[in-house]
Amino acid sequence: MTAVIEVNSLTKRYRDTIAADNVSFTIEKDTIYGLLGRNGAGKTTVMSILTAQNFATSGDVRVFGEHPYENSKVLSRLCFVRESQKYPDDATPAHALRIARLFYPNWDQDFAERLIDDFQLPLKTRIKKLSRGQLSAVGVIIGLASRAEITFFDEPYLGLDAVARQIFYDRLLEDYARHPRTIILSSHLIDEVSNLLEHVIVIDRGRILIDDSTEALRGAAATIVGDAAAVDAFTAGREVIHREALGRVASVTVRGELTADDLARLTDAGLDVGTVSLQQLIVRLTQAAGGAIAEDATASREPSLDIESATLDKEAQR
Amino acid sequence: MIEEGRALFLQIAERVEDSIVDGSLPEEAKAPSTNELAAFYRINPATAAKGIAMLTDKGVLYKRRGIGMFVAAGARELLLTERRTAFAARYLDPLLAEARKIGLDADDLGRLLAERASRLDGSATDAATLTEGTAR
Amino acid sequence: MSTQTMNSRPKNRTLSVIRMQMVNRATYLWVPILVLGGSLVVTLAIWGILASAGVEGPLYGGGAQAPLWYFAVVGVQALALTFPFSQAMSVTRREFYIGTLLTAAITSAILAVIFVLGGFVEQATDGWGLNGYFFYLPWVWETGPVGAGVVFFVIAMLFFTVGFWAATIYKRFGNVVLTGTILAIALILVGLMWLAGRLDAWGQIGAWLAAQGALGLALWGALLIAVLAGTSYLTLRRATP
Repeated sequence: MTAVIEVNSLTKRYRDTIAADNVSFTIEKDTIYGLLGRNGAGKTTVMSILTAQNFATSGDVRVFGEHPYENSKVLSRLCFVRESQKYPDDATPAHALRIARLFYPNWDQDFAERLIDDFQLPLKTRIKKLSRGQLSAVGVIIGLASRAEITFFDEPYLGLDAVARQIFYDRLLEDYARHPRTIILSSHLIDEVSNLLEHVIVIDRGRILIDDSTEALRGAAATIVGDAAAVDAFTAGREVIHREALGRVASVTVRGELTADDLARLTDAGLDVGTVSLQQLIVRLTQAAGGAIAEDATASREPSLDIESATLDKEAQR
Repeated sequence: MIEEGRALFLQIAERVEDSIVDGSLPEEAKAPSTNELAAFYRINPATAAKGIAMLTDKGVLYKRRGIGMFVAAGARELLLTERRTAFAARYLDPLLAEARKIGLDADDLGRLLAERASRLDGSATDAATLTEGTAR
Repeated sequence: MSTQTMNSRPKNRTLSVIRMQMVNRATYLWVPILVLGGSLVVTLAIWGILASAGVEGPLYGGGAQAPLWYFAVVGVQALALTFPFSQAMSVTRREFYIGTLLTAAITSAILAVIFVLGGFVEQATDGWGLNGYFFYLPWVWETGPVGAGVVFFVIAMLFFTVGFWAATIYKRFGNVVLTGTILAIALILVGLMWLAGRLDAWGQIGAWLAAQGALGLALWGALLIAVLAGTSYLTLRRATP
C-alpha cells in the first residue's frame, strides 16, 4: 500500500501549550481513517497542518511525497472541511457550491445535487442565516462532492441531527465504495463511526495514543465482572485499564485477547465476560493515559497497542 | 445486530455462512458482493472484503473472474462439519457451567434434553405438515 | 484508484479566485455603483435647492468619494471572510492574494471608467445644468480624462489595499498589534507635521504638492499601494484562516 501522507515528529507549540507533541504516523491510500480524540486533543491542529492551513513548529510533513505549503499541485488534491467553516459575507450555499466546483478538479455536480436533496439544503438562503444543521450540511456536501483524493472531515456533522448523520455516513460509504479515496474523519462520536473506519488513530493531549486497524482493536480488551476477589485473581498480571467496584462485585477491563483457556477459567470461576466496544476501549485508554500522566509527570508514557495476529486464529476456533 | 468487541469481518463472514447453512444461499449461487455487504451492514467495504477473503481462503466461496464470488460446491457440508466440531465448545461448555451453578447434574441435563427434544420434534412435525418447506 | 476523469483543461486557479470573489457580484460591483449613484443623487438634490435659492458659480461636490469608504470595507472582508473560505477550497495564499488584488483592480478600473464617463457628461451638460461638478473636479482633470481615470483608479485601489492590509495584520497578529501599528503610523504622521511646522516648511510642502498635481500624487499613491500590498503578502504568507 502506498503512503499518501507521512508525518514525522510533528510538533506544534503555542505560547504555553503543546497542541501536537512529536506526532508521527502514516496515512495509506484509499482507506478510511478515524482521527479520534477528545475536544482539544489536537485533531484539528494536525489536520490544519497537513493541509498547510497551519504551520508546524518542528517536524516534517509530506503529502504525496511533497511539502504541502503553497503547493498548488498537492493542495488541489486535498479537501479540508472544518467544523465552523467561514464563508464569504452574504454568500448562499449556491455560491459556495459554485465556487467549490471551480476549485475541485474531481467535483461531481450531480452528486452534489443529490446531496442537496438528501439534506434538504435551502440553496438561496444566506449562509449566515442557516441553522446549525444546514451549515454543517454545506460543509459535508462540499467534502463529499469534491471527490478529492484525500478528504478530511473535521467533525463537520456536529450540527447534524441523528438522521442527517446517518445520511452522511450512508452517502460516504456508498460513494467511497464506488470511488475509493483516502478519507480522514475526525470525531468524538466513536461508536457511530466505528463501522466506517478501517484504521484508527487516537490523539490525546497532542500525542498518539493508538494507531491501529479497527479490526485489531475490536476484541482488544474484555470486561470481567463478578466477585471482586475472583476477578482480581484472574486479572493479576494483566494490563488493567479500568476498574469499578460496587460492594463485592468488581468490573475490570483488561487489555489483551482472552484465550480459550482463559474463557474456560472464567466460566469455572463463575465470572462474566463482556465485550468492549471501540468507544469504550478508547475512553478507558484515554482515561488511563491521563491518570498515568498525572501520576508521573516526568516520564512520558506512550501506551502502545500491540495486538498479536493470533486474533484471527483464536477467533476462528470459537 | 452487529456485536461490539468482536472483529467485524468475522461477523460478516459468519452471516454469509449462516445463510449457506440454512439453505437460503445455495451452492453455486452468486454470493453478495463486497459493496452489497458493505451497504447492507453499513460498514467499510474493506472490512466486508476481508470477510469475503476469509471465506474464500476457507474454501466456502470461490471467484469467477469478471463475474464475482460464488458459493463453492460442498461449502455447506464443510460448514456443517466445522460447526459440529465447534458445537461442544461453543454451546455445551457454557451450558454445563451454568447448570453447575444452579445445581443441575449430568443426569438432570440428560432428562431435560430428551424432554425438550421430543417437544421440538413434535412441533416440528406439526410445522412440517402445515408448511411446504423442509424443516431441516 | 478510481478512474476519475480529470478536467481535460485544468483551470487557472488564480483566475478562479477572481471568479470566487465575484460570485457575489453585489459586493464588488452593485453596491459600490449604488453608493456612487446614491451619493450623486443626493448631491444633485442639494444643488437643485441651492440653484433655486439663487446660488451661482461652479459647485463642487466631494460625494464621489462615497463608494471608496465602502471599498475599504470590501478590502477588509476580502481577507476576513473570503480568505478562510479560500483555504477550505485548497487555494494557496499566493493564488488568493494575486486573484483578490486583480479583482480589486478590475473593480477599481470599472469605477474609474464610470468616474471619467461622469466627467464627460458633466462637461457636456455644463454641470447637470446646475453648474455643479461631482466628477469633473478640475484639479483631478488637469492632465485630461486619462489622467483623471488613473487618479480615481489609484485612489480606489488605495482604499481597498488599506482595508486589506489592516485585515491581514489583524488576521496574523491580532487586535493589539494592528491597533499599535495604526497608532504608530498616526504618531509618525503627527510627528512629521510637527516637524514641518517647526521648520516652517509648510510653504515648500504646499508648493511641491501643487507641482506634483493630481496625477503626480496618484503615482506616489501607487507607490504606497505597492508598499502596503507587499507587506500584506508577506504577512499573509504565515497567516492561518
